[in-house]
Amino acid sequence: MTAELSITQLKLRRSGREILDIDRFVLDSGEILAVIGPNGAGKSTLLQVLALLLVPDTGIIELNGEMIVNGNRLAARRKLAVVFQESLLLDTTVQKNIEIPLRIRGVGRTEAIRRTREWMARLGITHLSGRRARSLSGGESQRTSIARALAMQPEILLMDEPFSALDYPTRKSLLAELGDILHTTRMTTIFVTHDFSEIPALTRQVAVMFDGRIIKRGNIQDILGETAVSVRSWAPWDEDMEDGRGAG
Amino acid sequence: MNIFTEGLQSAFQMLRSLDPDVLSITWRTIHVSTVATFISILIGIPIGTILALTRFRGRGVLVSLINFGMGLPPVVVGLATWLMLTRYGPLGMFNLLYTPTAIIMAQAVIASPIVAGFSLAAIQSLNPKMLLQIQALGTTRFQYLMLLLWEARLGILSAVIAGFGGVISEVGASMMVGGNIRGYTRVLTTATVLEVSKGKFELATALSIILLALTFVIVSLLSFLQQRKSAFR
Amino acid sequence: MKKSFIRIQSIIFCIALFLMLGATQSPVCAEESKDVILSTTTSTVDSGLLDDLIPVFEKKTGYRVKTISVGTGQALAMGEKGEADVLLVHAPAAEKKLVDASVVINYQLVMHNDFIIVGPASDPAKIKGKTALDAFKAIDAASAVFISRGDDSGTHKKEQSLWKDANVTPTGKPWYHESGQGMGATVLMASEKVGYTLTDRATYLAQKANLKLDILSEGDKPLLNIYHVMQVNPEKFSKVNAAGAKAFVEFMIAPDTQKMIGEFGKAKYGASLFFPDAVK
Repeated sequence: MTAELSITQLKLRRSGREILDIDRFVLDSGEILAVIGPNGAGKSTLLQVLALLLVPDTGIIELNGEMIVNGNRLAARRKLAVVFQESLLLDTTVQKNIEIPLRIRGVGRTEAIRRTREWMARLGITHLSGRRARSLSGGESQRTSIARALAMQPEILLMDEPFSALDYPTRKSLLAELGDILHTTRMTTIFVTHDFSEIPALTRQVAVMFDGRIIKRGNIQDILGETAVSVRSWAPWDEDMEDGRGAG
Repeated sequence: MNIFTEGLQSAFQMLRSLDPDVLSITWRTIHVSTVATFISILIGIPIGTILALTRFRGRGVLVSLINFGMGLPPVVVGLATWLMLTRYGPLGMFNLLYTPTAIIMAQAVIASPIVAGFSLAAIQSLNPKMLLQIQALGTTRFQYLMLLLWEARLGILSAVIAGFGGVISEVGASMMVGGNIRGYTRVLTTATVLEVSKGKFELATALSIILLALTFVIVSLLSFLQQRKSAFR
Repeated sequence: MKKSFIRIQSIIFCIALFLMLGATQSPVCAEESKDVILSTTTSTVDSGLLDDLIPVFEKKTGYRVKTISVGTGQALAMGEKGEADVLLVHAPAAEKKLVDASVVINYQLVMHNDFIIVGPASDPAKIKGKTALDAFKAIDAASAVFISRGDDSGTHKKEQSLWKDANVTPTGKPWYHESGQGMGATVLMASEKVGYTLTDRATYLAQKANLKLDILSEGDKPLLNIYHVMQVNPEKFSKVNAAGAKAFVEFMIAPDTQKMIGEFGKAKYGASLFFPDAVK
C-alpha cells in the first residue's frame, strides 16, 4: 500500500512571482519526509501540488511512474490523503466525517463502517462518534481529521502543519501515537512543519525549502545538527520529560 | 383598531368555515409561490455556485448584475413579462398571459437573482481551505458540489427563504400578468388590493392576516430545517 | 450524510411532483377558444356586478371569462392592440373613435348608472343642489379639496370633460389631487381628506358604510354614465376569440341578463346600482 511520488521540472507562478521552482523531487516508497523552511518558502504550495490539488504551470508529476494528467487525476487523488492545519471537518458527526470520504472513494458500506470504527478506536475518539464536528475541541477535531485520512488507507499521506494549532500536551500525545501508526503501517508520508521538535517523533528525513526551491535534503543530524534530535520543547507540567528525551 | 380586530375575527371565521373562495385563493398562492421559488432555486443556486467557484472575464459584471437583480422592482418585471406574453408579443403564441403560469414566470424572474445572490454569498463565505479539503477527499465534480452545498446549506436555505419571501409578498407583477381573475389568478396579495379598493377592509385585513400566517408558517418550516442541524448536540 | 442526501432527494422529488400536478391543474393547455378576455372598468368589478353575471355566462356557454379590470383608458388600449376579446366600458367619446376605426364591432348599449358629486356634509364650497357644471365652478372658486382619479379611466375622462365645460383648468392647482387609483380607493381618499370627488353611484353605495361623504349633486344630464359592450374586430386581430366575444355581447344584452342587472344591488343597498338600457 505504499507508493512513489515524483516531480520533474516543476514551475509555478502566481501573479508574476515564482512560487515553486523544483528541478527534481522524489518521495520514495515507504519514506517519511519532513519539509521545513521559513514562511513563504513554498512548503504549503508544494504540498498542494503533490496532493494534486494545485496544477503547476509546467512540470511533470508522477505517481508510481504514471504521469498525472486530467484524465487520471481523480483516480490518483483517491490514492492520497491530506491533513491540513485546520481540521476542516464536514458539518456532520465524527463518524460520518470518517465514513463519507470512504463511501466517496467507493468503499462498500459495511467495510466503510468497519474501518471507521477501527480508526476511531485507534485515535481514541470512539466516544465522540455521535458528536457534531463543530462541537469538538481543537485536539478532538484534529484527531478526527487524522482518523479520516488514515481510514482511507492512502498510499501517500500528506500533512500540512497538522499539529501547529494544538496545545503542547495534545500535540505531544498525538505525535507519539501518529509516530507509532506510521512506523507500523510503513505509509509513505510527507509533512510540512515549522516546529523542528516535531520531526524526531516521526522521522529522520528532512527537506529544507527556501524561496520556492528545495535547497537541502538529508538526515536530520546532517541538516540541523546533533542537538536537533534531542531538542524538545519543554513545559513545566510535562512530567515524563526525561523519558521523552531522545525518543522517536 | 376596530377594523383590525374585525379583520382578525373574520379571518378566523373564514378559515374555520373553510370559505371556498378564500381557501382556493390561499391554495393558489401557496402553489404559485412555491413553484416559482422552486424554479428560482433551479436557476439561482447553479448560477450562484458557478459565480462563487469560477473566475472568468466578465464575472464582475455578472455579479453586479445579480446584485442589481436582487432589488429588481416587481412591477418592472411584471411589465416586462406582460410585454413578452401579450398576444402579439414575442411569446404570445403560448397564450400564457392572465394564467397562473404567467405569475409563476414573473415571480421566478423576481426570485432567481435573490436566490443566486444569497447562494453566491453563502458559498463564497466557506473557508477556501475547505474546498481544497473536499477535493482532497477524492470527490467527483458532482460529489464536490453536493458536499459544498451541504456545507453552505444554512446560507442556501436563507437564499430560499429570501426568494420565497420575495415572491409571496409581491403584488405588482402578479396583478399585471395574472390579471387578478377570480378563481383563476387571484392570489392573496392581489385579492387584498382588490378588497381595499372595494372598501371591504375586514375582508382585506382577513386576507392579509392569512398571508402573514402563511408566510410565517412556511418561513418557520424552512428556518426549522435550517437551524435543526446547526444546533450543538 | 448519505441519509440526508436521500432526504433532500425525496424533498426535491415531492416538489417536482407538486410542480407537475400544479401544471396539469392550471389549464395552460386548455383550448384557446374557451378563454374570453374581457377588458372592463374597475367599477363593474368593484361593485360586484360581474361577480354575479359571469358565472351565469360561463355556465350557459362553457366559456371561461378572464376579467381584467383596469381603467377605461387601459381597457380601450387593450382593445386597440387586440389584447382583449371583448370590452365593457363607459367612455362613449373615446369608444366612438374605436368604432369609427373599426377596431371594435358589434357595439351595443348595455346599461347606465350615473355619476354623482360627493363631498363632506359641511360642504365648504356650497355645491349642494347645484348642477354639475356650477358645482365644479364653485369648487374651483372655493379652492376646496378635490380628489381626481387621474388614471385615464372613464370616470376621469368624464371629470375632465366637466372641468373643460366649466372653463376650469384644475391640473396643478394646490387643492386638486390625482389619486391614480381605482374608484373605490379614490372615494375613500376623498373621505379621509375631507374633499369632493366625482364617482359612479354604484361604487359610492357599495362603500357608503366606510365613508363620511354625502351626495351633493346628482341627476344632471352630463352626469349619466353609459356602458357599452363591444367585441374586438377579429378581421383586424387574428388572435381574438371572436365566437366567445360575440357570445358575451349577446349575453349582456339578453333580456334575462338585463333583468339581473336591474335587480343587482337592490336587496343590499335598497336601490339599483345599474339601469338596463338594452331592452326598451
